[in-house]
Parts: sequence; structure tokens; C-alpha cells
Amino acid sequence: MPIGPRPEDVSRIRRTVSIYKVSSYITGTFLLLLLLMMVFRYGFGVDIELLGPYGFLALTPKDLIDGINLSTLILIAHGWFYVLYLGADFVMWRLIRWSFTKFLLIALGGVIPFLSFYFERRVPKDAMAAIATLETQEKVAA
Amino acid sequence: MQTQATMWQIARRPRWIGALVLALAIAGGFAALGQWQLSRSFESGAAPDEQTENIVALDAVSTPQQPVPALATGQLVTAEATFVAGDYVVLSDRFNDVNAAPGFWVVGHGITPDGASLAVALGWSATADEAESAVAGLEQSAPDGVLTGRYLPSESPQESDFEAGQRSALAVSELVNLWAQQPAGVHGGYLVTDAAASGLVRIDSPAPLSEVSLNLLNVFYAIEWVVFAGFAIFLWYRLVRDTWEAEGEALRDAELAATPHAPPVE
Repeated sequence: MPIGPRPEDVSRIRRTVSIYKVSSYITGTFLLLLLLMMVFRYGFGVDIELLGPYGFLALTPKDLIDGINLSTLILIAHGWFYVLYLGADFVMWRLIRWSFTKFLLIALGGVIPFLSFYFERRVPKDAMAAIATLETQEKVAA
Repeated sequence: MQTQATMWQIARRPRWIGALVLALAIAGGFAALGQWQLSRSFESGAAPDEQTENIVALDAVSTPQQPVPALATGQLVTAEATFVAGDYVVLSDRFNDVNAAPGFWVVGHGITPDGASLAVALGWSATADEAESAVAGLEQSAPDGVLTGRYLPSESPQESDFEAGQRSALAVSELVNLWAQQPAGVHGGYLVTDAAASGLVRIDSPAPLSEVSLNLLNVFYAIEWVVFAGFAIFLWYRLVRDTWEAEGEALRDAELAATPHAPPVE
């Protein structure tokens, strides 16, 4: 049962929304890189090697990598940025008091390619609308 | 006037009991995943060790006059051998049970069908006398034939009072100098027989210790799953509490609307 944010949470909501916007961009970008890396790893059996013997960037079978394994790095980085994204999602859900379905839906943004870019526009708009509704209610009450 | 339901009453509604069952099922699934991660973190290195327990021919793992490959260490093997009379050696300070006093090993000089020499540890005894009488028995009837046992790399010679006939290491390099019959070629390791010679105790030779390497990444993932499982339960609690808060606020709003002279809200 969504009931809207509390007046005292407005500044925290604004802060969280800006964190959310940044994290959705980063997570979305890493998700696309992850997709690319998965295609290479499971489609062609190679990982992306950084600064290896075959040049700045090279495609090398996983076991033969001497340089930095960029594929694994992408995997780890996406994981941690997704944690940040989920954290922002959770805090927004708690403060704006959105429905649980909306929380789950936003969570999907970090795993479905391109979805986070859509949410990056949509979610802050919804958050601002919730704040605006709250402010008009306050005006009416006053 | 309508009274607000307590959190406990809300939690007992069928909808929220169902949600709790779902949350517990998810938490259970996460816990199972955590357990799987934990078992994965111990698993590495288990597979290669098992192959030492499959009995193979000695020639498949060891070549005379060649170093003993690491894979052959602790391998169960069979080998045909004829023993050379007079070449039995008694080693001292050999433990067969870590809690008991050290005893003696009787080591024979076996010749394989292709003429190579193989040191064979034939058994353990508690006293030197028992070992000597076992050697006397072996001189009478050698345990020739097909032997089964564990193949181990030679030990390093150790400083000992060898002039008094005392030695404690099974060093093939030392044995070749003691044996009366000059070897035509020698296996780099030695065989510990499964069946002790008469008068001796079977030498306890367990499978090599598997190297249990703890995969910390998997341990970390296992902890993560436990946290997720806890979070599934927390979410259920939070959702029940949200419902309770929402109902409470709705009720207060309704009361405010119903009261004609409501005090102004700041």
C-alpha cells in the first residue's frame, strides 16, 4: 500500500536519487560490457586481456592470460556497482514508500541490458512527482 | 470507531502468512546455495588424489634410473619381484603408530622381471630381535611373486651411526651400496607392501593427504548467501510493518477528516 514519502525525508530522497542516477549509468554500462565479455568467454572461449604480450587489448583464452584479465574485472566491477545500485533502490523504496513491486522492478534494471538507462530517466521523475505531491498536500493542509 | 490492527494481527492474515512461507522458502534456497558454495570452497584438489588409490602396474608410473614423478608419489602399484637372499636390511626408528614407540622396518631387495632393483619395505616390528628373526625367516622363504602396495619416493639418507649398522632412512641411494648384488638399474622409489612378511606387522601407509586448499572467494560467497537469506526474512518483516504503518496513517487521516474541528496541521 504506497502512501508516499514523509516531509522530513525529502532532502535524503533527493540525495539518494542523485546517487541512484550515477549508479544506474555505471551499472548499465558495465552490464553491456559484461554482455560483450560473456559472448567472448562462452561463445568464443576467450577473455579480454589488458596489457598482455599481444598488445594493449587482446582476446586470449582464459588459461593463457599473462596480463590483466579484463573480463573478470568487468564481472567483479559490475557486481559491486550493482550492490550500490540496489542500495540506492532500497533506500528510495523505503523513503518514498513505494510498493514492493516497484522495488523489484527497479532491481531488475541492473540485470536486464538497457533497462537501467530507461529507469535512469523514469525513476527520478517518479521520485520528484512523489515529492511534489507531498508538497502540494502540505500547502493544502496549511 | 475502527481500531487499528496490531502488527501481530496483520502478520497472521493469510496473505502475510503466505508471504512468510515464500520468504522462508527463498531464505532456504539461499542457505542451500551458501552450503553449495562452502562445499565448493573445499573441493579443489580432491580429484587428482583419488587416482593414487587405483592400483596400476609399477612400470606405468616408475622407470628405473629415472626420477620418481610427483604423480607417482603414494600410488598403489603391483610389481612382480624376486628377492635377493642376503640383501635384507633392518632400519631403526620407524614409527608405525604415532602414539607408540618407534620400531624397525625390514627392507628387501627385489628384482623385477626386467632386471631392475626395487626396494620393498616388508613390514614393521617393535623390537630389533623380532626384525632379525623375520629376516632369518625371509632368507629361508622369500615372498617372491606379485606384490601390491604403495609406491613412495626414496627418503634422504640421514646421519646415523651407520658404522654400527644403524640406519633409519629408507634411502635407495644408500641401499644400492649395501646390497651384495649390484643392481642392473634401480627404481627411484620404494614399495611398501600391503601384506607384511611373516613375523612382521603390516606397515601403515595411508593414502597421501589431500591438499585441502580453502578457496576464500567461495567462502565469501557463502557468507553473502547467508546475508541474503537473512535479508529475505527482514524484507517480510519490513513489508508487514509497512502495511501496519500505512493502515495506521489511513486511519488517522480518516479520523481527521471525520472530526469537524480538526486542529490545523503545521
